[in-house]
Amino acid sequence: MWSNVTAAFEKAFALMGEGNTLLNEIVATTLEMSLQSSLYAMLIGVPIGALVGVMRFPGRKAIVLILRTMMGLPAVAVGIFVYLLFSGTGPFGGLGLMYSVELMVIAQVILITPVVAGFTETAVSPAYDAMRESAAGIGLGKARVALLAANESKYQLVATYLFAFARSVAEVGAVQIVGGNILHKTRVMTTAIALNYNMGQFSLALALGIILMLIVLGLNVVAAVLQAGLKKRQ
Amino acid sequence: MIEIGVKKQYGERVVLDVEKLRLENGRVYAVMGSNGSGKSTLAKILAGVLKGEGDIIYDAKKPRTGYMPQKSFAFDMSLTSNMLLGHAFRSRKEYKKKAIAILEEFGLRALIKKNAKKLSGGETEKLALARLMMDDYGLLILDEPTAAMDVNAVENAERILKEYFDRVKPTVLIVTHSPAQAKRMADELIFLNEGRVAETGPVGKLMAEPGSEELKRFLSVNF
Ligand SMILES: Nc1ncnc2c1ncn2[C@@H]1O[C@H](COP(=O)(O)OP(=O)(O)O)[C@@H](O)[C@H]1O
Ligand SMILES: [Mg+2]
Repeated sequence: MWSNVTAAFEKAFALMGEGNTLLNEIVATTLEMSLQSSLYAMLIGVPIGALVGVMRFPGRKAIVLILRTMMGLPAVAVGIFVYLLFSGTGPFGGLGLMYSVELMVIAQVILITPVVAGFTETAVSPAYDAMRESAAGIGLGKARVALLAANESKYQLVATYLFAFARSVAEVGAVQIVGGNILHKTRVMTTAIALNYNMGQFSLALALGIILMLIVLGLNVVAAVLQAGLKKRQ
Repeated sequence: MIEIGVKKQYGERVVLDVEKLRLENGRVYAVMGSNGSGKSTLAKILAGVLKGEGDIIYDAKKPRTGYMPQKSFAFDMSLTSNMLLGHAFRSRKEYKKKAIAILEEFGLRALIKKNAKKLSGGETEKLALARLMMDDYGLLILDEPTAAMDVNAVENAERILKEYFDRVKPTVLIVTHSPAQAKRMADELIFLNEGRVAETGPVGKLMAEPGSEELKRFLSVNF
């Protein structure tokens, strides 16, 4: 077991060191997918979450409950659902998006948006409670207050983005189904890992997993540095 | 003129039951009473941030209302940006000048670029009050606006408020625990006891000769 892990680390650094073109391609596809998925999920999910977070009416709890339940959407089920929609006989079959990075992004946006919205709601709601009276006291309108509550939660929103990105990078179920793990086209880190595992190449699979973690680590370091800079400026 | 007839209860408990309270335009009303007597509840309902049963009737159009909650809040941005919150889409430059002038009056000039979250309790309270001074309100509701300030800051804030009152002539409801402050700032006193208006009238007169036992007791401990 340990020899496998050691070999995996060695392989991971060797792969990165030698500038393996196939690896670079897979990493590039992964980033292309994940940066888009996480960005679109934020663009849709944050406004929804912020809006629900500043709503105060009897049906609100039900909406929050639905949101939180959707956070647990099974990736494979979303994959199948999107597959059925976009496959040749599906309603959107004509778009010809099957087995494309675009469709992987669509599936992941469906998967991740509820998570973003749920986290946003959880952060914005108490921020809204804390500021609500003071904001009303100077005559600020609802939309303005929603923005301000999101501003109060900006560090949680950064964390939410990082989580969205990490989830996208690490997700395999949906992208495998709608992307098909096609070499030079839709192969990403996770589907490559799964493939190598299926072929019994454990240490290579693990090595790819290590590289994937390093990508997530890299983004987190960038975010931490940016946050520290932001805090210092004030 | 504003006529207030409101009731508020949480479960079985009635925390505010004001049958008829009249506020004359341009007059300053101090609200006093022990903890839990319903002062903040009254302020919130009048400010429109809390719903109660009953009505608030205005003789004319509902006035532009400014409200400072008991717990002051600093928005996560610079002091200047805090001041400009109500003026997002108006001529920024002119308002910025005004903002800085007001912050200076409150002794916050050195901090204007700082993030408001870093302010102390007293400073946050000054900022919350300063933020209200950015606008001219027809009705101003202040819930213990100087409770966290030191003696000098209280004096300063009262001077700024008085200037504002003279210039803008708003109807004012100011909740305070200090009879001295009520005397300095207000024309009329509203004394609440267990959610009801126990007594109301000119400040000086009520303090000199309190009619109710409750006010008598209240003043003897608080003066
Ligand atoms: N959300 C609430 N639920 C239950 N009781 C409340 C709530 N808000 C206020 N109260 C009660 O109402 C009473 C009046 O509160 P308040 O108006 O804040 O008093 P104060 O005169 O000290 O400002 C208090 O006893 C308080 O505990
Ligand atoms: Mg109070």
